Amino acid sequence: MSTGEVVYLPRWQPGGSTVGPHRGRDAGGLGTFRDQVPFLRLPDARRVDIRATLRDPFEGTYVRRFETRTAIEVWALVDLSASMRFRGEADRMALVADLCAGLAHSATRIGDAFGLIGCDDCIREDVFLPATRRQGIAMERAARLATAVCAGNSARGLAAVAVRLAGRPKMLFVISDFRWPEALIEEVLSSLALNDVIPVLLADRTEDEALPSFGLMEFDDLEAGGRRVVFMRPSLRRRWHERERARLDRLHRIASGYGRPPFRLDVRFDAEALSRHLMTT
Amino acid sequence: MALLSRLGASLPLVLLLLPLALLPLLVSSQRRISLSALDAAPADGLSRTIDWVLKIAGVLAIAALIVALSGPYRSGETVTRIGVGAQVSMLIDRSGSMNETFAGKQPSGAEESKAAASRRLLGDFVGSRAHDQFAVTAFSTSPMLVVPMTDRHDAVRAAIAAIDRPGLDYTNVARGLGMALSQFGAEAVQVSRAVLLVSDGAAVIDPKVQEILRAEFSKIHPNLYWLFLRTKGSPSIHDKPAGEDTPQAAPERHLDLFFKSLGTPYRVFEAEGPEQVAEAIRQIESLERDPIPYTEQRPRGDLTPSAYALATLGLLVLVAGKLLEADPRRASRRSSPTTAVPSDEQRLAA
Repeated sequence: MSTGEVVYLPRWQPGGSTVGPHRGRDAGGLGTFRDQVPFLRLPDARRVDIRATLRDPFEGTYVRRFETRTAIEVWALVDLSASMRFRGEADRMALVADLCAGLAHSATRIGDAFGLIGCDDCIREDVFLPATRRQGIAMERAARLATAVCAGNSARGLAAVAVRLAGRPKMLFVISDFRWPEALIEEVLSSLALNDVIPVLLADRTEDEALPSFGLMEFDDLEAGGRRVVFMRPSLRRRWHERERARLDRLHRIASGYGRPPFRLDVRFDAEALSRHLMTT
Repeated sequence: MALLSRLGASLPLVLLLLPLALLPLLVSSQRRISLSALDAAPADGLSRTIDWVLKIAGVLAIAALIVALSGPYRSGETVTRIGVGAQVSMLIDRSGSMNETFAGKQPSGAEESKAAASRRLLGDFVGSRAHDQFAVTAFSTSPMLVVPMTDRHDAVRAAIAAIDRPGLDYTNVARGLGMALSQFGAEAVQVSRAVLLVSDGAAVIDPKVQEILRAEFSKIHPNLYWLFLRTKGSPSIHDKPAGEDTPQAAPERHLDLFFKSLGTPYRVFEAEGPEQVAEAIRQIESLERDPIPYTEQRPRGDLTPSAYALATLGLLVLVAGKLLEADPRRASRRSSPTTAVPSDEQRLAA
């Protein structure tokens, strides 16, 4: 399992008392020096800054404050609707499992907790993993996603996820192909807006750019269950691409409004690319 | 409905498989490519049309194959149509004198006997109109049924072709007429019916028999034509005999009188040569121009070839669909090297 490591920084100063790798909002007695405060504000005699105390013409006593190192929670919210069964150049659920395993590994390695929620029409309890800092469990549950049953015909459950994620802000990776109604995308993203939401868009070239330019194709809808014959030809292919592009633009617009543009995951999971995406957006 | 009722199948049980023809509506022969959402595909009328054409072709192919296996046929039938023509019962004299020429001699060289001349001219008469029906009766001492009433003109022509065989004994008109009338059959339809008597002489008709004939004639009411082939020198129909005017002395005249007394339309043609015979026949032909219902026999028709043809049509459409099919895997393989090459170059450059 060499997925590399996802490097991330929370965009906020996380609070909380759990010790972790990130610069916390609270000041405490350990960690990187942050500032000096009067003794009365932090009456901790062990941290008295003698040099600053002596230097003060008004003879106040100063205490050093240090940043607490705080842990955050990284959650993967996985769409488990039937469309995620898709296999094009890559098996979509295998990709998701890779991504989640990468996240679980990266998070637990530095002391953050990793949680996993799978949703189709409702939240799937068999996939649910409360945030844990135990690497073994996190990795195992993430890897097990590759064989998860994807049967639901919508991802409505994601709209109800916010209830389980109450509390401090978290990093949320919403992993889906986002073939949702626009309203659902809005609803899900807005319900999670207090958190740092990173939409991860699962795309596949065989669904878009790599379509043949001529020929008869019969498509099977994995989710809605219909079938349709499409006589592919250059003009239709162009329309198809335009339609896909419009969909992605729409997703980009909505997601950017809630913080971050989507990260596109296609052939294989590249931890570096994700790290770069997290740093630059 | 009438058409449907005439259709049949030699193995009707096979038709129980017909619901299988609905299979193409549920499954398709095309390679199926799964897609996460059909919404991605833009609506397209042409595609939808092709979809339906393929489905219908599939239904057609299976249905036609099943029907073909069941051995479909159109059962034979008798169709009654209306044409222009008449029922003509020919009564032809086969007495020995018919083999003589109009001059009363045995034919020699280019001369034609009366029988041969009437054979030639009557043969033409038979073929001239498609819907005429003919019966041929020959008579000499006793009547002979040659061909019953039929519209098979070949048979009638063959019967007429045989009338110049050497003739038999005498002339017995009464029994011949009886049989000729019986040829018309029982059905009383509005058909123009004609009795064409071809003879070169006459005979006495017994008064008792006359009554029977009269009754028959009034029942059937045919037009009666007498083509009298008169031998040169012999008495004409209209000649009164020099002596006593009895049927025995002038049978032709008395037969004519008898016919006239029947009350049915009657014409006599006295012919003294082939040209006159032809002229008489032409007149008869022009007189008998009434609508006639005629029957047409249609044989049982095997519909298996057409069923197979339909199935082939459907299968061809399906094969065309199969050949048009795009292979997405091949397409992606073809396009992937183009994307892989720059990345290699980038790696080298890096």
